[in-house]
Amino acid sequence: MSDFSEELIRSKTEDDQEESCVFSGTGMYFPWLQKHIDAVATEGKKEKDFAQTTSACLGFIREALLKHRWQEAAGYMHSYLQVLEDSDSQKRLGAPEIIWKLGSEILFYHPKSNMETFNTFADRMKNMGVMNYLKISLQHALYLMHHGMLEEANRNLSRAETWRYGEKSSSQEVLINLIQAYKGLLQYYTWSKKKMELSNLDKDDYAYNTASRTMLNHSWKTSVNLGALIQTPGVWDPFVKSYVEMLEFCGDQDGAREVLNNYAYDEKFPSNPNAHVYLYNFLKREKAPREKLISVLKILYQIVPSHKLMLEFHRLLRKSEKEDHHKLGLEVLFGVLDFAGCTKNITAWKYLAKYLRQMLMGDHLAWVQEEWNSRKNWWPRFHFSSFWAKSDWQEDKPLACEKALVAGMLLGKGSRLASSDRGKTFVTAA
Amino acid sequence: MDFPSSLPPTLFRTGPLGLSNGPDLSSTCSWRDALALPEPLAQSYQKGVSCVATAPLWEPETPGPIPLLPPGPDPWDPGVTAQDLLFRGGVSFRRKPQAVLDVTEQLSRFLWDHGDVAFAPLGKLMLENFRLEGARSLSKTKTVVSVKSLLQDLGGHQPWGCPWASLSFRQRRFSILGGPVLGTSVAGILGELLHEELALRWEQLLLDDAFTGGAMAWVPGRAPREGQLVFPAGGALDKLCFQQVIVSPSGDPRTLGDPGHIWLRGPVRQVVTRTVQGESLLAVRSDYHCALWKVSKQGRPVPLQVLQVGKGATGISLSPHLPGELAVCSRSGTVCLWTPQDGLQQIYKDPETLVFRDPSPWRWADFTAHPRVLTVGDRTGVKIVDTQGPPGCGLLLFRGGAEAACQKGERVLLAQCLGGCGPEPLHPTLHLILTQFSLYLVDERLPLVPLLKWEHELPSAPLFAQLLPPARPGHARPLLLGAQGGDLRLLQLAGAGTSAPRLAGPPQSLPSSSDSLSAFPLLEPKSQWRLQERLKAPTIGLVATVPSSTSTPALLLFQLSAAGDVFHQCLRLQEDPGPDSRAPTASWSPQATARCGHWLKGLLEVPSPPPVWTAPAFSHRRVLGCVEQRQGEQRGLEGLRAAMAEGRLLLRRDLGAVPSAEPPPAPEPGPEDELRARLEAAWEGRAAAWWERQQGGSSGPGRRPKRPKRRTQLSSTFSSLSGRLDPSDATSPPPSPRRASPEAGSQAPVTPPPQKLTQEPWAQRVPSERRQTLRDYMAKLPLQADTPGGVSSPLSQASSVQATPSGQQALQEGSAKQPIRRHTLGGAAVASSQASSGRATPSGSQPPRKRPRMGF
Repeated sequence: MSDFSEELIRSKTEDDQEESCVFSGTGMYFPWLQKHIDAVATEGKKEKDFAQTTSACLGFIREALLKHRWQEAAGYMHSYLQVLEDSDSQKRLGAPEIIWKLGSEILFYHPKSNMETFNTFADRMKNMGVMNYLKISLQHALYLMHHGMLEEANRNLSRAETWRYGEKSSSQEVLINLIQAYKGLLQYYTWSKKKMELSNLDKDDYAYNTASRTMLNHSWKTSVNLGALIQTPGVWDPFVKSYVEMLEFCGDQDGAREVLNNYAYDEKFPSNPNAHVYLYNFLKREKAPREKLISVLKILYQIVPSHKLMLEFHRLLRKSEKEDHHKLGLEVLFGVLDFAGCTKNITAWKYLAKYLRQMLMGDHLAWVQEEWNSRKNWWPRFHFSSFWAKSDWQEDKPLACEKALVAGMLLGKGSRLASSDRGKTFVTAA
Repeated sequence: MDFPSSLPPTLFRTGPLGLSNGPDLSSTCSWRDALALPEPLAQSYQKGVSCVATAPLWEPETPGPIPLLPPGPDPWDPGVTAQDLLFRGGVSFRRKPQAVLDVTEQLSRFLWDHGDVAFAPLGKLMLENFRLEGARSLSKTKTVVSVKSLLQDLGGHQPWGCPWASLSFRQRRFSILGGPVLGTSVAGILGELLHEELALRWEQLLLDDAFTGGAMAWVPGRAPREGQLVFPAGGALDKLCFQQVIVSPSGDPRTLGDPGHIWLRGPVRQVVTRTVQGESLLAVRSDYHCALWKVSKQGRPVPLQVLQVGKGATGISLSPHLPGELAVCSRSGTVCLWTPQDGLQQIYKDPETLVFRDPSPWRWADFTAHPRVLTVGDRTGVKIVDTQGPPGCGLLLFRGGAEAACQKGERVLLAQCLGGCGPEPLHPTLHLILTQFSLYLVDERLPLVPLLKWEHELPSAPLFAQLLPPARPGHARPLLLGAQGGDLRLLQLAGAGTSAPRLAGPPQSLPSSSDSLSAFPLLEPKSQWRLQERLKAPTIGLVATVPSSTSTPALLLFQLSAAGDVFHQCLRLQEDPGPDSRAPTASWSPQATARCGHWLKGLLEVPSPPPVWTAPAFSHRRVLGCVEQRQGEQRGLEGLRAAMAEGRLLLRRDLGAVPSAEPPPAPEPGPEDELRARLEAAWEGRAAAWWERQQGGSSGPGRRPKRPKRRTQLSSTFSSLSGRLDPSDATSPPPSPRRASPEAGSQAPVTPPPQKLTQEPWAQRVPSERRQTLRDYMAKLPLQADTPGGVSSPLSQASSVQATPSGQQALQEGSAKQPIRRHTLGGAAVASSQASSGRATPSGSQPPRKRPRMGF
């Protein structure tokens, strides 16, 4: 009977919420809508006292947290726990998550809280309702890792890893994968520590052999842990990095390459610049041919033309024999200097000055013209204004010189390119 | 530019909003962002905390903001509130009250307030069928109705909202015949328009995006501790003010002289300022215009150009890279790049929204780290558009969907580029995206995946944000969020170079202007309410500055309210918050309270705004008044003149027939005497004896006549509270109102024909106990019978008529005409005295009356 009535209540609250939220007509939800309605509604069923006190209490906790009054928040939290006895099953089921979220925050910042308190709280919360076990275990482990308790964290993750409830849902699977991945990361930490020790040992030593054998063993275990998560679309930089490092150490170059290729080129993954950077660094370590490196960086260039590696990319292109690579080299340099964060990059300006001269000498004026055409109406104001001429001259003379050189070539008197007054003033000022 | 070498792990899902399948890892806890994964290569994983940037506490100096400038001379009214728009009271069977727009009440109010607008066209059409003055004229071709008699039947009563209003046959006939015509045309056309308007107002109340971005800006001056505040003032917000502010070495701002101002032709919605390459520019957005000024080194604005936006501008932003370049968005879905030299360049146009369909025409644009690439945003997402590329193409930077783990119904409220701030920007490629639930940080180099998500839990729409330079090198950067309701949040962003951006330390909420109430002295209720309303006025602008070279690093925060008030607060950097230190509570300094007091004095001198609603003046009174009211007025005036000439007091008798206000009903002595006697007895310790006396008195033969008396006592208690009520009706159920509509009339219980009331047959059905009461009551009724006495005493007639229940009109229907005329005459005279007493009076001064038949 009670279940039935709760069921009724739940379905009703759900659609009531829907109605009052969608009311705006645009499909937009307003968290502050209820406040307006409460100001008006005088009739109708009011919330019960219990619900009123708990929601007021929740408000106080949130306010205290935002005002950094941890003691006060803890006091309110103590009272808020009554929500666990709410007769509204919807609220009761949602309560542990709120309690965990706010409670952990209080304990994280409370001046008198210590790790023991936090651990006890986390262990209690894990077993309150089945839905939160994995999530809380993971966050608890992260907390322990943050505080340097790696063994404890590892134990926590191992316990969570074997936990199952009902049918394996996709969200549960992702969480378990994440837990395993973090466990793998912890194993990687111990592994890299051992690696450090190993590097101190003599290679002919007997101890070296046994140590390397245990390490191999170790990395095999880790690969099981990390492998599953890396297949799921997402940003997994720390995991991929450590996984590849271990695979490389074991000599599994193909495996590492596969992992990185998958991470960089899988359509389902977001376009993560780091995926290409990792792949490039791996290929560089492998001493892959220049063509291969250029093809990887070409994609990175398309995603992030302002990346630090672009100067390296330019060097590679410059060294290449192909004509279109030389052209791309110019494009890359211009591309880097387009960005606001790179305007003071003296290396880029130096490269550009040198390369421009080379291009103009080598009768590639058309290429320069092509690049310059889209920039001639804003580069002079962006780079070569009198303001920058002055400030660069005061702050960084070599930079001012390089810029003046480039400006001279692009806008100067003898230049066949479009000229501009600002550019001239820059050249003359510099 | 450095890209974070290792990004925080995030799950990437694609799909629509509110896809709850899968764990939301990004916003589980605020402390989770403070966690750093141990760096194994640095060999510091035993103490992983080392890389956390210092996130000191910014501590408010006062418990609330303090006024910076005296209040403006224009009165301010809070305008429409939820109470005005929503239907009062929920539907009883719903568990939760539901918001329903109260169209009915608004419509009836409109008809009352603007009856001329609503009915004039119809009136003109029907003009030939009505006669305003004189008797009804006969015409063979058409019916001509005399309005006079109709109005006389109304007798000044306002049936609106009064369940006891009743109608004459004439009125009834008229409303039955005219109802369909009057009702459909007015309600049909007007109702639709009104509903539209109400829905619009309601949406505006929930979210007013006109001030997105904020209408206040800070232009730094030549010296490090001075600058100018630019903000709109005046009742219509059309006066752009430039106020010089100097910050003392201790961090207190001081205004310098009166603000200079420029009058504009529209309300200022957004003020943006930026200093690019040493050149300070100021851009202003109004509803249909945008304007650009250059601020000279001396702080004088020089106008550059004005742009007209036909469909209405929704956003304006200044380029952080190139001086004098702006992005302007319009409601039509167009985004243009605007430079004073080259004019407009359309870079994006799409009337549809980016990700999914949303009706809001709000568009927003900002610049990115590349001077030729812009972000274009609407409620559903944000796109990166290359101005030099082919039109229409671009990458989505933020998608309202599963990628950012958005909730159902979540919409973008503000998108801002965080680059171009301070000497060493955090990440010039970082963009802040605010929705009604959360804050997102997205890097334009890694689109769609937020690097940081935090639920801000602001109780109103966050429309203002500002990233500030760090107080000291190496410190986290304060990020200020402001909501429309005045609520503020202060976050600290850490991470630059190769580390990913994250929250340093727990976010803070800052005092809002309603927290300042404690600084003001307690006032009498009306002024107190006015002050409270004023402090609660929505925020329309927010700007902060970290003045350099102050003794302790300070963060100055200026807040502009819709009422035109500029408040400021100063936040101090709490040096080295120890583990045991708790946030100390700020207190009001004498200077602060003095400033508040001074401001309050100014506020109370400002005249209060005229009331939004005033009682309607009935035009028919003007019509009728010229005929019948003159005499009374005349006599009153004569009496006044005579009294003045004689230099004596004006007595009532001098005023003649002017209806005197009815004296308040004197409480009947019964219950009070009893109470007094009882209390006196109790005081003297003889309560038991008194009780016995009472008991003894009520028992025995005297008991029967006592009962009606007790009832009288009870009812008289009520009557002294609520006007006059007939004693015999006190215990009867309230009468069912007889409405103007014929349906309601048919629902009323069948009553005996009123003519028969004077005869005796009715008495047979009345219980004998009540017969006498009823007879007494009817004898008291002045209009009951066509007695000649009623005609002879017009003065007493008038006063008694005022007290006559409107219900009796119904009883009088169809009976002799004469009493009715007398009735209306008095009614009209009374009504004229009511007209001045506001809207609540009509129902208040016409006390609810019971019809005698209800006593059966």
